[in-house]
Amino acid sequence: MDTLQFLADGFSVAFQWHNLLFAFIGVLIGTAVGVLPGIGPMSGVALLIPVTATMTSGLPTDAAAASSIILLAGVYYGAMYGGSTTSILLNTPGESSSVVTTLDGYQMAKQGRAGAALSIAAIGSFAAGIISLIGLVLLAEPLSNVALKFGPAEYFSLMLLGLAAVSGLAGKSMTKALMMTVFGLMLGTVGIDAVSGIARFTYDMPILYSGFEFLTIAVGLFALGEVFKTILERDGADGAIAKIHRILPTKQDMKDSSVPIVRSSLLGFFIGVLPGAGATLASFFSYITEKKFSKTPEKFGKGAIAGVAGPESANNAASGGAMIPLLTLGIPGSGTTAILMGALIMYNIQPGPLLFDEHPEVAWGLIASMFIGNLMLLALNMPLVRVFAKVIQTPKKYLLPIIVAISFFGVYAVQYTTFDLYLLLAFGIFGYLLTKNDFPVAPLVLALVLGPMIENNMRRALTISNGDFSIFVTKPLSLVFLVAAAAWLLIPLILKMRGKSVIVNEEE
Amino acid sequence: MSKTFDRYAGIIFLVIGLVFVMEARKISHSAYGSSVGPDIFPTGLGILLILLSARLIYETFKYKGEEGKKEPVQYKRFLVIFLSAVAYAFLLEKIGYVASTFLFLIVAFQAMERGSWLKTLIIAAVFSFGVYYFFSELLGGALPGFPGL
Repeated sequence: MDTLQFLADGFSVAFQWHNLLFAFIGVLIGTAVGVLPGIGPMSGVALLIPVTATMTSGLPTDAAAASSIILLAGVYYGAMYGGSTTSILLNTPGESSSVVTTLDGYQMAKQGRAGAALSIAAIGSFAAGIISLIGLVLLAEPLSNVALKFGPAEYFSLMLLGLAAVSGLAGKSMTKALMMTVFGLMLGTVGIDAVSGIARFTYDMPILYSGFEFLTIAVGLFALGEVFKTILERDGADGAIAKIHRILPTKQDMKDSSVPIVRSSLLGFFIGVLPGAGATLASFFSYITEKKFSKTPEKFGKGAIAGVAGPESANNAASGGAMIPLLTLGIPGSGTTAILMGALIMYNIQPGPLLFDEHPEVAWGLIASMFIGNLMLLALNMPLVRVFAKVIQTPKKYLLPIIVAISFFGVYAVQYTTFDLYLLLAFGIFGYLLTKNDFPVAPLVLALVLGPMIENNMRRALTISNGDFSIFVTKPLSLVFLVAAAAWLLIPLILKMRGKSVIVNEEE
Repeated sequence: MSKTFDRYAGIIFLVIGLVFVMEARKISHSAYGSSVGPDIFPTGLGILLILLSARLIYETFKYKGEEGKKEPVQYKRFLVIFLSAVAYAFLLEKIGYVASTFLFLIVAFQAMERGSWLKTLIIAAVFSFGVYYFFSELLGGALPGFPGL
């Protein structure tokens, strides 16, 4: 069967009524998550995993996995849409990927063009979503066919590359990022060793035999960490919200932004495919590029519509591009995709090259549902922009305790132990302290998900080679990956030594 | 960037790395048919963490003495909410989901901002009953709803 046939099958999965509903709930919640300043896409997705797990409990495994990943991915790209709303109306970005949108978006709002800015962001995101999906469809099959030829040595090196990429770009200090990565890998070794069946670091506590649940740690680090930060530091001093007069952009607006949308979508997509470089980086690059290409660069920062259209398209395209390494290679390139991967693994579905052969309805159903989800987002966002602007005003005093309660519910509903609740609280404090002091937590979660796979592949490779470590450098592909991983860590260091400033990717 | 925090964090992670390596040595080396046992990977990680922590401690001596501007920190509010969250975890299985969630939300709402009791009671009640009803009645999930059930 060819790609088109698979895609058609994917659409038949995505068009099942419950999957349409799931996609709708996903993008709706995602938009809200993007609008609310307290929670980002990462904690939003993490919090919804237990809810989707219960909602899909009656379905067969494959169908359940497809439905929940459709919902969770909807949250992910929905949040990219929503993040722009607060940037434009309040001058406070809902997500780090919308930081540059404030530059021109808020200026436009001050000039009474808030509606045009919001709708061009929605249109740009839609176009970007479609462009990145076409890229996904075209690249998925060939890439997974290449990946099928990988042995354990290649996989080990490829995963190291993934970790190196995320650590190299995360946060201000690479030492700290690497420490977090290694610590995440260490947490991943707790529990019964899958190869030998020996319990490690469990100290005869049965609760530790299955290891630390990644969901508990992710929700603790991201959702609770953020809530604790807001409780401790920010006070409910909300700025004034700009009024929305006219929603549709003018013809001139459309003309000014159509080229930036297409250009930034392509740029964002390819940045998204690279591991470690996520939506934040994509939106920054797009802003710089648009300013360079613009005939009127002096308008940037004073309400240029291209300065909204470009970055907003780029961050959405990047979130689509980030799906490629996840689905085809089984290697998440960012914190949020690591959480999506964790969700798939919970259903016993291993993302990677075999995904397209073994669970085509999950892979293609997801891709097809992203088409539909993007359409829903456009339909939702144009008329409902005013409603979402209201969501911003949800008082923090109710929002924060409810996020804590949802986290508790989520973790307990999946784990059924009080132990995980204490663990959740501990990781909440841990996450707050670490993030506050520039220790990035995304590499930790990524390492926790990848850790067991890295170890298994390393040991399988070493078993093949009779314990000879040179297998990792004698296999050509593996060597290429290792060299790339080293370059990813060393090049920023060298640039820094030469006194150049390096753009880093903030948490997304 | 806080120099003191980084230095303490470096020391703590260094100790974690050391303990990890020592404990990893106790794991059986046997590796049924493979030359690589379950102890190799953790040992390697422990050593890496020790090296990185040492590097971080070394870096803290090179920082310029820049202390970040202090934001007003609301310890009291945080402590009340955190402790009630611990109590929430403790009571969840004892008095059931609905009652413990209801109590936690009331305490936390009031800790965030005093007053408007009616709104507090309504939102807490709607959330705790709503989630329980939605989850265990509509979706058929299992939650310890009420004590004795």
